[in-house]
Amino acid sequence: MKFYLSYFKLRFISGLQYRFAAITGVATQFFFGIVIIMVYLAFYESGDANTPMSLTELISYLWLNQIFYSLLTLEYKDREIIEMIKKGDLAYELARPKNIYFMWYFKILGQRLSMVFLRSIPFIAIILFLPAPYRLSLPASIIHFILFIITISIGIFLMTSIVAMYNVITLKTMDEKGITNIFAAVADLFSGGFVPTPFFPNFLQTIGNFLPFKYVCDLPFRIYSGNVTIQDGLFGIIIQIIWTIILVSLGYILTKKLLKRVVVQGG
Amino acid sequence: MSFIEVNNICKTFKVAQRKSGFKEAIKSFFKREYKYVKAIENISFSIEKGEIVGYIGPNGAGKSTTIKILSGILTPDSGTCKVNGIVPWKERKKYVKSIGVVFGQRSQLWWDIPAMDTFDLLKDVYDIEEEKYQKIKNELIKMLDIEDIVTIPVRQLSLGQRMRCEIVASLLHEPKILFLDEPTIGLDAVSKKIVRDFIKKINKEKKVTIILTTHDMADIEALAKRIVLIGKGKVLYDGSLLKLKNKYDTNKKIKIITNDKLTIKKKGVLSSKKIADGYEFVIDCKTLNVSDFLNIVTKNISIKDIEIDNESIDDIIVDLYKEYEI
Amino acid sequence: MKVYLKAISLHFKSAIEYRASFVTAFLSQIVVFFSYYFVILSLFNKFDNIKGFTLYEVLLCFAVIHFGYSFCEVFARGIDRFDKLIINGDFDRLLLRPKNVLLQVLCSDFDPIKLARFIQSLIVLVVALLNLNIEWTILKVLCLLFMLISSIVIFFSIFVISACYCFITIQGLEIRNLLMDGGKYMAQYPIGIFKKGFVIFFTVIIPYGLVNYYPLLYFTGKSNNILYMLAPIFVFLYLIPSIWLFNKGMKKYSSTGS
Repeated sequence: MKFYLSYFKLRFISGLQYRFAAITGVATQFFFGIVIIMVYLAFYESGDANTPMSLTELISYLWLNQIFYSLLTLEYKDREIIEMIKKGDLAYELARPKNIYFMWYFKILGQRLSMVFLRSIPFIAIILFLPAPYRLSLPASIIHFILFIITISIGIFLMTSIVAMYNVITLKTMDEKGITNIFAAVADLFSGGFVPTPFFPNFLQTIGNFLPFKYVCDLPFRIYSGNVTIQDGLFGIIIQIIWTIILVSLGYILTKKLLKRVVVQGG
Repeated sequence: MSFIEVNNICKTFKVAQRKSGFKEAIKSFFKREYKYVKAIENISFSIEKGEIVGYIGPNGAGKSTTIKILSGILTPDSGTCKVNGIVPWKERKKYVKSIGVVFGQRSQLWWDIPAMDTFDLLKDVYDIEEEKYQKIKNELIKMLDIEDIVTIPVRQLSLGQRMRCEIVASLLHEPKILFLDEPTIGLDAVSKKIVRDFIKKINKEKKVTIILTTHDMADIEALAKRIVLIGKGKVLYDGSLLKLKNKYDTNKKIKIITNDKLTIKKKGVLSSKKIADGYEFVIDCKTLNVSDFLNIVTKNISIKDIEIDNESIDDIIVDLYKEYEI
Repeated sequence: MKVYLKAISLHFKSAIEYRASFVTAFLSQIVVFFSYYFVILSLFNKFDNIKGFTLYEVLLCFAVIHFGYSFCEVFARGIDRFDKLIINGDFDRLLLRPKNVLLQVLCSDFDPIKLARFIQSLIVLVVALLNLNIEWTILKVLCLLFMLISSIVIFFSIFVISACYCFITIQGLEIRNLLMDGGKYMAQYPIGIFKKGFVIFFTVIIPYGLVNYYPLLYFTGKSNNILYMLAPIFVFLYLIPSIWLFNKGMKKYSSTGS
């Protein structure tokens, strides 16, 4: 365990090196946040349709989406690991006396956490003090906030297990630009990265309920904003935990199995 | 007026300096500090048509800056340069039609498709007439013996095969001047020989003027009669290779194979050493020439065999670099 | 032109060397692009207009912008990735060839996989047109053509201008992306729905509005102002400073060799 933690630490520290990228990252997220909110505002001002979220809930959701984008997005893959797999350079990793799946897992985790650490804190400070309606509202209640902290922490682990799954898919198909990308795009869509899931057409919402993706960020954001009742939130957290366990075990088993094949082939 | 005329060209680069640290990074975002580095200083030389010139010097001496200026990519800060009556950077399009460039460490061939396709594209890039193109292409392909290679995707070729295709690609438009930048880097002995022989041949048959930069002194020995040595941006030596050798190559190692016992004490013998089947001497030819030395030896003993080693060209260059402190 | 076409065919040949991954990569681009207009579709599932614009009007806006952008991504990829050309030194090689440098940069890269986006934006365009009740006139046909061409022109110009930035430095390219992608994101919608400052910015400074918003007003009959129909033509003026800048940058490059 200590080994994985130091692997995590190393990634975290090297992630902190990219300060300039962090500054432009915050600027990008800020700009996009404002623009996206403007689009939704224009919709909301165009008539009182049956909106599935109140404006305040929605704006909190959209800002959280921007704040945690670099942490929770399912769109980005770990280029380094994927390149390594594609080029067949796994030999180094295999030569280490540690489990390769968990090595990947903690690498991704460290990378992502370092990014959000740099970006989100100054960012939150700014958007809490924006003029209405652009301001990020405080959580719906203290209980919602506590639940949010719990669920987003689990969400981080769930995100990592999904992103680590991209590595597994690449290991299986060796086609990172195609199949892995399709997988990532679908995951991103269902996670609510583009549109909050309550806005989905009904049949897509139903499909989404059976997939793990919306539990990465959609659930935490809706809990924060109060779009979900405390009961539903608790239920969601249980499903989140189940998905995380399933995906981690699946990733672990598949990696082991696939690597055996790679080793046999002498890759 | 020579074919290539370079007069006092200078080039200084501005290099941004940045200290580490977050504050410095921000500061340098708004205001940068620069350092000026003289890449070349008052370089002059002239080259006649049909010459092969070795342009050598250690890394960072200004070789590639000079080549870039000569090929029209860079404009010098001061000085003049005329090639075949054209100022390279002034009439770029017209000028580059008359030159060919081979970079040993870079490729102009398309990686995923056969070299032949790249050749066809270059035909249009250089506006070569179909008939002429076919003739030249076939001739070059035959000369380099790559008939079977040009239809295979480049990524599947060995380095040596690829380099031969690179050379063809650079010669399709029949340039009058060919710049070769480390053309044999990383090649095996056979490929090196093929490339060298070919360079010699086109120089002789097509009168192509060749400027060759390399770190491989064997290239220079095989190809260039004349070398221009630069270091720290200045020309240090310009002249024949032979002269350079004679000037610096004064120590010779002589190995004498014999069963007899031999001791020679004479001025000019720098060292002597007993080896398994004879003796090894190093003599200074300035005070004792080789024939005198051999005379003395033959008077004393019977010789089975003699070996005379020149100091290698590499050693000479290293000595030169040392002498000029570069 | 001949050289450009030949270069493109070679790029295409290179791409299909890896047949299977070409197909899946193409498919993945379709999925990624779908998620772009999925936003619009979902929101119109709950609302029936955005400040008076209907679903198909917005989709037309979207399609016009992505038509030009994806066209440039496919055919002007070399300029889009100009920073790479400078970094790996291949730009020097282009200077050694007796052809126009900008043309050669265009030839240096071509991304057939992004055709997936181009084709899809054409489909969205056709669907939008079929569902809009347009009283077709010659002027409206012209208007549509102007929109499409000016969309290509504006992205081409922006690509060239950002390439010029690479002549000076290759750091901080993210800011360029922010301006371009942020603006592009907004221009997917009729820019009239945004705050006035943005409208002015994207009409005068980076004239996305001239590409799709103003002609859309004329095209859908929301306005009869003929000037709106001609608005895309002004985008062509954008080409002049961008090409001038490129040539200027090239001169600078050959004197600094950065």
